[in-house]
Amino acid sequence: MERQFTREIESLRLGDGATFHGEGILAVTKALLQSGVSYVGGYQGAPVSHLLDVMVQARDYMDELGVHVEACTSEASAAAMLGASINYPARGAVTWKSIVGTNVAADALSYLASAGVMGGTLIVLGEDYGEGGVVAQERSHAFALKSLMWLLDPRPNLPKIVEMVEKGFELSEISNSPVMMELRIRACHVQGEFKTKKNLAPAVSTRLKLDGPPKEFIYDRLAHPPATFRQEKLKAEVRLPAARRFVLENKLNETFDGDEKQLGIIIQGGLYNGLMLALKTLGLADAFGSARIPILVLNCVYPLVPEELIEFAKTKKAVLVLEEGQPEFIEQEIATVLRRVDAQAKLHGKDCMHMAGDYNVESLVRGLTRFLAQHAPHLNTASGASWLNSVQRTKEKAAELLDTLPMRPPTFCTGCPERPVFSAMKLVAQDIGRPHVSMDVGCHCFGSFEPFSQGNTLLGYGMSLASAAGVGPMSSRRPVAIMGDGGFWHNGLLSGVASNLLNKGDGVLVIMKNGYASATGTQELLSSPPEDARMVAVGGSSVHADRTIEDTLTGLGVKWLRTVNNYKVGEVAKVYKEAMSTDFKGLKVIVAEGECQLERQRRLKPQVARDLSDGTRTVRVKYGVDEDTCTGDHSCIRLSGCPTLTVRDNPDPLRTDPIATVIDGCVGCGLCGENAHAAVLCPSFYRAEVIQNPNWWDKLWNNR
Amino acid sequence: MEQPITILIAALGGEGGGVMADWLMEAATATGLPAQATSIPGVAQRTGATTYYLEIFPQERKSLGGKEPVLSLTPSPGNVDIMVASELVEAGRAMQNGYVSPERTTLIASTHRIYATVEKMQMADGRFDSDKVVAAGSQLAKTAVMFDMRKLAQENGTVINAVLFGAMAGSGVLPLSREACEAAIRKAGRGAEASLRGFAAGFEIAGGTRRAPEQAAKPKRATSVEEILPLAKERLEDYQGERYAAIYAERIKPFLAGDAKVAATVARHLATWMAYEDIIRVADLKTRSSRFARVRKEVGAKEGEPVVVIDYLKPGVEEFASVLPHFLGKKIIEWAEKNGKLDAYNVGMHIRTSGIFGYALVRSLAWLKPWRPFSYRYREEQRLIERWLSLVSEAARRDAGLAFEVAECARLIKGYGETHRRGKGNFLAIVDALVENPATTDVSEQRKAIRTARDAALADPEGKALGSTLGKPVMWMKPVKSA
Repeated sequence: MERQFTREIESLRLGDGATFHGEGILAVTKALLQSGVSYVGGYQGAPVSHLLDVMVQARDYMDELGVHVEACTSEASAAAMLGASINYPARGAVTWKSIVGTNVAADALSYLASAGVMGGTLIVLGEDYGEGGVVAQERSHAFALKSLMWLLDPRPNLPKIVEMVEKGFELSEISNSPVMMELRIRACHVQGEFKTKKNLAPAVSTRLKLDGPPKEFIYDRLAHPPATFRQEKLKAEVRLPAARRFVLENKLNETFDGDEKQLGIIIQGGLYNGLMLALKTLGLADAFGSARIPILVLNCVYPLVPEELIEFAKTKKAVLVLEEGQPEFIEQEIATVLRRVDAQAKLHGKDCMHMAGDYNVESLVRGLTRFLAQHAPHLNTASGASWLNSVQRTKEKAAELLDTLPMRPPTFCTGCPERPVFSAMKLVAQDIGRPHVSMDVGCHCFGSFEPFSQGNTLLGYGMSLASAAGVGPMSSRRPVAIMGDGGFWHNGLLSGVASNLLNKGDGVLVIMKNGYASATGTQELLSSPPEDARMVAVGGSSVHADRTIEDTLTGLGVKWLRTVNNYKVGEVAKVYKEAMSTDFKGLKVIVAEGECQLERQRRLKPQVARDLSDGTRTVRVKYGVDEDTCTGDHSCIRLSGCPTLTVRDNPDPLRTDPIATVIDGCVGCGLCGENAHAAVLCPSFYRAEVIQNPNWWDKLWNNR
Repeated sequence: MEQPITILIAALGGEGGGVMADWLMEAATATGLPAQATSIPGVAQRTGATTYYLEIFPQERKSLGGKEPVLSLTPSPGNVDIMVASELVEAGRAMQNGYVSPERTTLIASTHRIYATVEKMQMADGRFDSDKVVAAGSQLAKTAVMFDMRKLAQENGTVINAVLFGAMAGSGVLPLSREACEAAIRKAGRGAEASLRGFAAGFEIAGGTRRAPEQAAKPKRATSVEEILPLAKERLEDYQGERYAAIYAERIKPFLAGDAKVAATVARHLATWMAYEDIIRVADLKTRSSRFARVRKEVGAKEGEPVVVIDYLKPGVEEFASVLPHFLGKKIIEWAEKNGKLDAYNVGMHIRTSGIFGYALVRSLAWLKPWRPFSYRYREEQRLIERWLSLVSEAARRDAGLAFEVAECARLIKGYGETHRRGKGNFLAIVDALVENPATTDVSEQRKAIRTARDAALADPEGKALGSTLGKPVMWMKPVKSA
């Protein structure tokens, strides 16, 4: 795993009245233990990876508490795991990145929500909407509505988040429904503190085991007809009212008063801090959350409580709903609620704010200004307008002074084993033309950026091969699907490979076997290399030591299967070209081997430090470019994009174009040399082996 | 009304931005100030641009009477007190997003560059102009503290975050004492001593008690004929001896009386062209003792650490033919071109040039130097050089500007193997379409056309831009066989 959580694991043990310091998602983890959770599962993905990572690393302590932790292979398995709470009074929590994870989990979630739960279940969603989001932009809210699962959206402050976790379990139990909690990316990573309580030993656990299944067969706990029809009615008639009562009685939502009583703002909890800054900018709030306009903060955005909304709005002239993203589910329901009781407050929302994308402070100031201009012209909001104007002026001035800046998208790490595969693909495309490339989710998606710029579709995690199924039969050239080993186990094996074999499809699948789910923090996979092989490999690649992927493919009936060493670009290109042009009809799979460089460097660095201080002979490899033979055409960079292969001023006073150079940080993967060979680029690359702690032979023979 | 101090940190993955945020949180908490930090790392930490955002309330919590400030999670333009950028273009990006305002913002930025892929991959020079960002910084910020912090970090054996943190504290805008900041670094442990040295350097430079390191001087360019001629003479004597240098002097002579800019351009390109990189030249350069010294320095080998140098060479038909007698070389190349075999027989070699056998092998190629004037490549290059020179003089008789544009086309010919073929192909295509058979008689139009075509040739390696400029496809890709 990429990160060690030694300090964080200590803070999970804190007892009554201590102070927890740390990030939001780890506060959630602690809150789960304070709530007496019996089991935890999930699938990694920013921004919630840390929740599960820290629990996996804290396995000993979890055993002590009797908490079962499961690193699931997909969100679907995580959601299905919650089935344990249908029949037993066990509290369970799972986590994943949303919207994508919720999509994958949706089947199991529908059944779970229908059957209903006995033990509290909480789903912690990393809501990846808006700024920093890397997935399709949709709201998780729709899932709450369609399945009648409740959705919490706490104010982004640690004590509130922790309280909502604890209340979430109670809410779930009292209403027999699963509860989701959405945390946006910045809330997951927010650093703060809260007063802890001691962890609760779970009622049912790996230490306090169940006697067996329920004494009697209870058909109604199955989401199967005819029970499903009763369950559908239960949702409306029993569970929803119970949930509303709980939200109201426990004051999950907060009302902050203000002196402009004829106005009101209703806002999702997660947006509260941004609203306060916007109001402060308009001169309508202070630094401590005291505002002139009354605010209803929805820490629970579903279900809404009609009594609460009516109470808040009935005497007001106008209410503004601040709800990020589309469609405006909350605003529509509030409209319905107010209309039904004929409350006359004028309702605003998406007419003042934009429909799509996040609500940043600039847009909130603009929207509030529009709202206030209509309903409170007596309030002086000039400070907001002058702020907006000065921001506009500053941006214009900067644009004029700087013109267009070069973009800097993320890219493969230095020495990444996936980069060489894209180099090979680019080379082969020059030979046989560009194919249709279906991309997948994972680090290899960086292949869509410069200098590779390839990929025609992206349909989700593990979906690349499946998304080429319709393309292949219509194309004169074979389509190529790229898939990581993470995606392969998540979904690609069944949705892609099995489906292709069943349909006797053609096409090429390249599996990046780097050994981990790397993009999310190098979490372990079924096919991760065994521990002893990693210890032997140290800084080398150890992924060849596990053959689970190859065996699985062979077992499934894949006939054309080749394994290549990624860094040998020429050979990768040869095999890839063969796959693209062979007469063999059927799926052709290339397993591209090379262990994630992050993991290798994590092993290598301490080992090298030890060797150097022990006086052991150590060879440090770095690549370089000869400045007097490099002519500065940069074709090597167009085949690589390595962060340490860059340019510098040409030292030759007779030339102007910058030359290529390899800077510090080169891990000696050898790609630049291999590219120079495979593409017949130029003779400028050299490999230098610096021998530290040399022996007598080195001193005699290698002494340059 | 008290406002929180807002700090936005723009960093690249692996520069310790997260650690710096931790230091700030620790120092603020130890000082008793309410503080909050957040970030959007995600995949951006994989070498992309990423940001950290902090708010520190400048009043001690105990003096607030139980009230908690509501701190924002998101930076907003015009509301940033301290904008920290670990790299120059990232500072520019912060300015374009409105995070640097003249009323409020102290800009702390390192002036070094880490080039983005789009800058590096251009065929000519795609680097963004650093001076623009420095100038914009001093215009847009309330106070700008800008110097090469990476260099200081390297000198102090630490990471850039320590120097940035020091500069932040030294600029006097943090509500935290130097002691509190240093205590936070110490508490974090690992590498604290080096970090403290970096911190001190940044602190003192920002505080004005120490001078910022000198910016590395831009390398000298020979721009005038007076500067170029001696360099050219020296290079060509080294390349093929005095007689060869004398040919250069003969060739440049007619231009010296004419327009100075044209003369300088011809002189410069002629020198590098005549010293074209064939395998004899490459072998010679790779086996000089100065080269091994340079490699040692570049890879940072210490005294007493042997360095093994392995060269990646892959000679093929062209390299082989280039040293053969002209008639033979010509036949082979013609045959290879016709049959598409130019890249078919390359032999990949990893030669240990630092070892006795590898050295002897490469050096023996360099000894072919006296044979060069009889080789195929020599004859071909001289022929093309003569053609180019006569085109330039012809153009010079009509217009100096036109002559300059024709002369500058020599810039397209560089590199090895396919890159060289492509460059030469582009050169010939432009010469054919715009110099020898121009569609216009108007000199200024012709000048413009050549310049546009040349830029297009350098815009993309596939020749798409040049193709559309010349109105016909320039095919360097091998014809695509349909599957």
